[in-house]
Amino acid sequence: MDSSKTTMDYYKHLSLFWTDLIHLMSSKPQALTSTGPMRAFAANSKKVTTELIEINEDLMGFNQYLTEYYKQLANAWEVAQKKVNLKAPVVPQDVEQIEAFKRIWIDIFDNDFTELFDSKEFGENYGKLVSKELELTKHWNNIANVVLQSVNLPSKEEIDEVYKELHSLKKRVGKIELELKKREAKKNAK
Amino acid sequence: MQSESKIDPKIIEEVLKFSKNVIDAPKLVSAPDEISLEVTPHDTVFELDKTRLLHYRSLTEKQHKTPLLISYALINRYHILDIQPEKSWVRNLLQQGFDIYMLDWGTPTSMDKYLDFDDYVNGYLDSAVEYIKNESSNEKISLQGYCTGATISTAYTALHPESVKNYIATAPVIDGWRDTTVISNLAKHMDVDKMVETIGNMPPEFMYYCFSVLKPFEQGIEKYVKFFKNIDNKKFVDNFLRVEKWLGDTPPIPGELFKQWIKDIYQDNLLIQNKMHIGGEHIDLKKIDMPTFTQIAVGDHLVSPECSMPLHYAIGSEDKTLRMYPTGHVGMIASSLSQKKVLPELGKWLAERS
Repeated sequence: MDSSKTTMDYYKHLSLFWTDLIHLMSSKPQALTSTGPMRAFAANSKKVTTELIEINEDLMGFNQYLTEYYKQLANAWEVAQKKVNLKAPVVPQDVEQIEAFKRIWIDIFDNDFTELFDSKEFGENYGKLVSKELELTKHWNNIANVVLQSVNLPSKEEIDEVYKELHSLKKRVGKIELELKKREAKKNAK
Repeated sequence: MQSESKIDPKIIEEVLKFSKNVIDAPKLVSAPDEISLEVTPHDTVFELDKTRLLHYRSLTEKQHKTPLLISYALINRYHILDIQPEKSWVRNLLQQGFDIYMLDWGTPTSMDKYLDFDDYVNGYLDSAVEYIKNESSNEKISLQGYCTGATISTAYTALHPESVKNYIATAPVIDGWRDTTVISNLAKHMDVDKMVETIGNMPPEFMYYCFSVLKPFEQGIEKYVKFFKNIDNKKFVDNFLRVEKWLGDTPPIPGELFKQWIKDIYQDNLLIQNKMHIGGEHIDLKKIDMPTFTQIAVGDHLVSPECSMPLHYAIGSEDKTLRMYPTGHVGMIASSLSQKKVLPELGKWLAERS
């Protein structure tokens, strides 16, 4: 784990060093491409590279929680199956027996899995798994933002700003309208 | 050879019959997409942003004076309250002479990610109540909330008691710490800030995951086996497909609303402790002082009885009724039990106060 982290840090540093250096070296001749999608190529490449490296780091964490998730499911399955074997040790021979066996199997499995999903261990691991998945989504969003900005389109944050402003304005207008309506209704009632 | 002869011929017969049913299914039943979930005739009488206020057409000559507005949940859509004529909550109440309105929350888009509890309680619900008050010339109306819709309507009733004559809370999500369901366990361990910041609205797919861990084998396998076994039973199949279609259609939940709901209800449990604020206003459950009827399903695996029941004891009403029914979350509103027991009791209670 430690050595892979050191290797990761080394490659991260190496990549950032060269993208920074290329960015500094190429800043002047950039004038020719200053209005096209390639105008900030070096800076954008750096952002994308950083995101990709961090995606790898988060992917390791994600895999760790995903492995634990399936381990919990596999353990619950094993325990439930043992309980079924104890309760119904004989292989069912006719339709009625199959039906009874199926009922026992479903009841035990549903109970045991509900117990698992209801446990603190499952809740914690699942929360961390989703959190890591969100980290991955965040990196993906950041890469998309770089692409969007290179073609002069607003980033997610900029769009969010507009939504926030719009929401706030609508809320204010809505409250004023409702207040006016209530006053009008009171006036009419008099 | 001997072991082969031991197989019960009935088993082979059952397997062959089941296979035939699976093959015949597309010829016998409609695709869920072809089924319309609009059952009882209604008109859209008011719209605000993406929300719609539906007014059901009366089925009786005489009606009770006070109209009833139903605030449906944030998960899935209002159709379950009118899923088919024989199991329709709405139709039953119309037949009992009530004037019924339903608030359809609509389908939020990315643009709506900042909608919060304040928008839903003091915006959409309040606007709908004001509209009904004006249209019906009533100073107060009756309000019913179902599931998370009851969390919203409980907050509304506490903030606007002057507009609510009777309050009905059906399987309300109130005390998150007491909730013993799998949903509450997942909610308690959720990094909801990061979730909303990263993906905005809560996507339906996340809801489907949460549903999939509730009785996973009964709901994920046995339910479909029963469906194919009963493929010739028109009534069973029709009901199954309608409920399946309803289950598979849940709108996204606006990010800010979801965040506040998870934090204030499940993680910090503010509502029942009288510590919740909406739009800067304090929610005091003691201000719910009108006649109140709380309906709880004993076998509810989405909102456990322990989560709903505290509402009955926390409100300020003197005229309050608590009823518990031996059914589940959906069974309470769309089953033969709801038609035979739940709705007649509610109708009687409401008629005496309408």
